[in-house]
Amino acid sequence: MTTARIIIRNDIQELERIREFIERQGDEWNLSAKNIFSINLVLEELITNIIFYGFDDDQVHDISIRMSLKNDMLRLRIEDDGKPFNPFHVDAPEDLDKSLEERKIGGLGIYFVREIMDTCSYERSGNKNRLLLSKQVK
Amino acid sequence: MEIVDTLQDGVVILELRGRLDTTNYSFLEEKIMKLIDDNRIHLLVDCTDLSYISSSGLRIMLMGLKKVNSVKGRFVLCCLQENIREIFEISGFTSIFSIFATRQEAMKQF
Repeated sequence: MTTARIIIRNDIQELERIREFIERQGDEWNLSAKNIFSINLVLEELITNIIFYGFDDDQVHDISIRMSLKNDMLRLRIEDDGKPFNPFHVDAPEDLDKSLEERKIGGLGIYFVREIMDTCSYERSGNKNRLLLSKQVK
Repeated sequence: MEIVDTLQDGVVILELRGRLDTTNYSFLEEKIMKLIDDNRIHLLVDCTDLSYISSSGLRIMLMGLKKVNSVKGRFVLCCLQENIREIFEISGFTSIFSIFATRQEAMKQF
């Protein structure tokens, strides 16, 4: 198994470092361009959620992202010390089939995550939120 | 992301180049709002060189479509790369947007 890890701050500009991280690891692990795109999207949606809604103070917080690959199974683990929040408890948007006038703007990010990944789970451990996700990449 | 805009036969063509994400979607939002303020309501968004989009980007596309429709304009997309097209499909956006394979076809809508 190979594992890579990055720690970012709760600052939206850190998305650029996440992109570099995924592209570098993706190349090293020979992931397809499509998988790199998908994992980048999943991380952007989850991390953006954490940065925008996870913290009530104005302090700097670390968010840890661990990615591992074993037998073509890619696993992601994201940890933050924000307030307890399970993003997967939020229901899927109900208006995907609705017409333009009826559609609300927003609510799509977590839906993408669930569509793209094979498994998504949440646990609270001590003062940390931990997200565990996996996807078969071949 | 870079946005290149050109005016052709009364249609504003917006070429999006690079990545449309949470760090930069507001540039596109401002651009679209300014065009509508200037009464430029025939918009064609050319995604040939758009390599990535997240829900923040899609939200702005949806906002653009709604705003332009509300002033009886036209908001059309063309040339989506495969990965981007899939995200539109997952979102159910392919049924509410007018999406064309080529710029030429898209221009016929105006």
